[in-house]
Amino acid sequence: MKKKNGLIQKIILSTIGHEKRQTYMIPVFSILISLIVGAVVIAFLGKNPFLAYYNLLQGSGLAPKASYAGYKGIITDFASFLNALTPMLFAALSVIIALKAGLFNIGVSGQMLAAGFTATILIGYSVLPAAVAKPLVVVIGFVMGALVGALVGYFKHKFNINEVVSTIMLNYIIQYIVSFFINTFYVDPVSRQSKTVGAAGRLTLTDVVIGSYKMDIPLGILLAAAGIVVTAFLLKKTTLGFEIKAVGSSVRAAEYAGIRVGRTRVLAMMLSGGFAGLAGVTYYVGYFASIQPRVLAGTGYDAIAVALLGNSSPVGIVFSSFLITVISKGSTYMSSASGVQPEIASAITGVVLLFSACGAFVKYKVDRWKEER
Amino acid sequence: MSDYIIEMNHITKRFPGIVANDDVSIKVKKGEIYALLGENGAGKSTLMSMLFGMYEPDEGEIIIRGQKVKILSPSHATELNIGMVHQHFKLVSNYTIAENIIMGMEPVKKHLGFIKSVDIKKANQEILELSRKFGLEVDPTKVIEDVNVSIQQRVEILKMLYREAEILIFDEPTAVLTPQEIEFLLEIIKGLRKDGKTIILITHKLEEIKKVADRCAILCRGKLIAVLDVAATDTKTMANMMVGREVSFTVDKKEPKFGREILKVENLTVKNEDKFDLVKDVSFTIHAGEIFVIAGVSGNGQVELADAVAGLLKHSAGRVILNGADISNYTIRRRNLAGISYIPEDRHNVGLVMDFSLSDNLALKNYFEEPFSGKGIVREGEFAAYGERLIREYDIRSSQGNNTIVRSMSGGNQQKAIIAREIELGSDLMIFVQPTRGLDIGAIENIHRQIVAQRDAGKAVLLISLELDEVMNLADTIGVIYNGEIQKIADAKTLTPGQVGEFMMGVGHK
Repeated sequence: MKKKNGLIQKIILSTIGHEKRQTYMIPVFSILISLIVGAVVIAFLGKNPFLAYYNLLQGSGLAPKASYAGYKGIITDFASFLNALTPMLFAALSVIIALKAGLFNIGVSGQMLAAGFTATILIGYSVLPAAVAKPLVVVIGFVMGALVGALVGYFKHKFNINEVVSTIMLNYIIQYIVSFFINTFYVDPVSRQSKTVGAAGRLTLTDVVIGSYKMDIPLGILLAAAGIVVTAFLLKKTTLGFEIKAVGSSVRAAEYAGIRVGRTRVLAMMLSGGFAGLAGVTYYVGYFASIQPRVLAGTGYDAIAVALLGNSSPVGIVFSSFLITVISKGSTYMSSASGVQPEIASAITGVVLLFSACGAFVKYKVDRWKEER
Repeated sequence: MSDYIIEMNHITKRFPGIVANDDVSIKVKKGEIYALLGENGAGKSTLMSMLFGMYEPDEGEIIIRGQKVKILSPSHATELNIGMVHQHFKLVSNYTIAENIIMGMEPVKKHLGFIKSVDIKKANQEILELSRKFGLEVDPTKVIEDVNVSIQQRVEILKMLYREAEILIFDEPTAVLTPQEIEFLLEIIKGLRKDGKTIILITHKLEEIKKVADRCAILCRGKLIAVLDVAATDTKTMANMMVGREVSFTVDKKEPKFGREILKVENLTVKNEDKFDLVKDVSFTIHAGEIFVIAGVSGNGQVELADAVAGLLKHSAGRVILNGADISNYTIRRRNLAGISYIPEDRHNVGLVMDFSLSDNLALKNYFEEPFSGKGIVREGEFAAYGERLIREYDIRSSQGNNTIVRSMSGGNQQKAIIAREIELGSDLMIFVQPTRGLDIGAIENIHRQIVAQRDAGKAVLLISLELDEVMNLADTIGVIYNGEIQKIADAKTLTPGQVGEFMMGVGHK
């Protein structure tokens, strides 16, 4: 027993033992393990795991498919992939900012829905020109998300209500209130979803013809890129970022240093909610143009995996969002091409989350082994 | 031979950087009250933790009832009929008294022959009987969080008795009690001896030892100094031995030159969550160029007093006046800016953000000001330059300079970083709470010199110390606190260590 452990220890130590490499080796490690686990599951179903994984890439526009319909090509698929990536990036930024302040924002999905719904009914159904409508959608999305986030932060500060509990509860509250309004006032009787928003307010330009291809171009991706830069700047270069990190690392030390912990938490939750709001509008008033009642977007939960996998760093989440979106976006094609159910893709995402959540433990364990040697 | 129920022979226990017990041997007779006396950090608790199976000795042997044993865990110790009441109670606060006592060895009853459940009625009955038998009346159905500290302590004692402990270890049992409660507890301890139990009492309060103990072992800096027959020894001798005869390094200190009044504390009262007074109606003043030391045994309200002055705790009555301005309602940040530097007791959880870099920690109290930042944007270059200067001037050693994560630094260097940061704030009032706790002699000497230098630079220094020799070495004025009340304020030169010690134990004459 002891000897066997020794060998495994040696292998693991030689790959992720090095302190400097740990920040990215541990995520890479958890992705690899997840992919292996996924491959085993797919193999059990009697399918070829390599083919299935290749299908994921094809479905995301990263590898060419065997054949395309008219006006479609790899670039079309990639544009569609970017459409799915945009809300994921915002949602992951939302999770990161909260995490840095020591808060776990489980309510990204609810905040997304609140923002997406508000922007839909206020602007999406209006007749404003595109030049006015699009910026307004963005502003309303941010403000609405920030308000929900601020509420969570305020509850935490004033009544010491755990943010995990309040965000989960708010998820339900928002979900049911929104579905009540949709079913009562805004439902499209055919699709059973909310009525489609007008093209003027929508953050994705649909059916744009470039060369011989038609594609949907997400404008939000530029905003998301800006969001990543802003978040990185906020956390690294501003006094507010310093305060957020201090509160997140040690509440008592932050308090002792004269930082107003409550205010910092409310601000961090506002920003977190704001980014969730942007995820919401790029999702409901961009990628999609309507809201399905009584359903929360999985993006908000996947974003937690993305943030953890990306080491809670604004740059890291670019890579992890990319990966997770490939898995979820490509799953539809995987199911039609090799008959592997799309749920398997969700399961792989789940396993990634599981292993990346173990990252801290793996690091701790590896450090212990190193000390023992 | 086995006159002795416990023999601990040549016990040595080392922790990184410190020898907690150095070749200590004690022998305890069955049915006696054996006291372990020593200052904080003398190694009393470590020695008993080994007897209770929480640590393993590096060297030496433990013999219980004539048999050599290796005590592996607290549950193993319980099997050997050893019980311990820890300084911090280990109780589940939302369970009842009975549930806490029986936890781990519940009486079980079976329904229909196979469904097991805890027979709480039987447990309540048993505990009621047990508590009556030893004069420790409790209501077994009360929930822990609804009863006061002294009852909680009874529960801890009952927990040991329920497990049929023969050897009872009490770790500083009176630290949390009021004088009346202490009297009662000491009676109980005597009663337990009458019932044939063997009792080990860890304490640094001489009066208690004098009242109940048969014999007393004195530890100083990890070494066993003497084992005394309590009846034949007076408290003064014990105090001298406890502090240690070795020459304590004296600090070069010029005559103080008192300047204007910097801090004035008026009738300050601080309550805890249970509305219990931790600091009672305390008043004092500190002048520029004065070291005012608050001496007292741990847990007598001195930390809360410092927290209240620095703004970390809210006071319920009284005023704090700094440089003539009433700062009672100021936030922590405003107090810092008004001129308070604070070296807190808990350097890990309060004084430092452990996962921040050294330079970030050095700028922890002025990151928001020019030149460290402007318009909300931090200037990393300024952080780095400032960090480098402080590292050089205060000789803070770390593996990667500015970028070292503070968690990886040694305790002494962490404390240097805090002191550097607080001195550089240039505040009129410097509060030091146990600044030398847990540090080695070199670091202690260094910090003492810095404290005196601050005084000579015209600062008002409020020092809170548990160590008698630190108090005597540094103080210009001594205020002794006991049970949240100031017992005595006097010029340091007019008091002898013995007198200060007596006031610290609450037995001095005002």
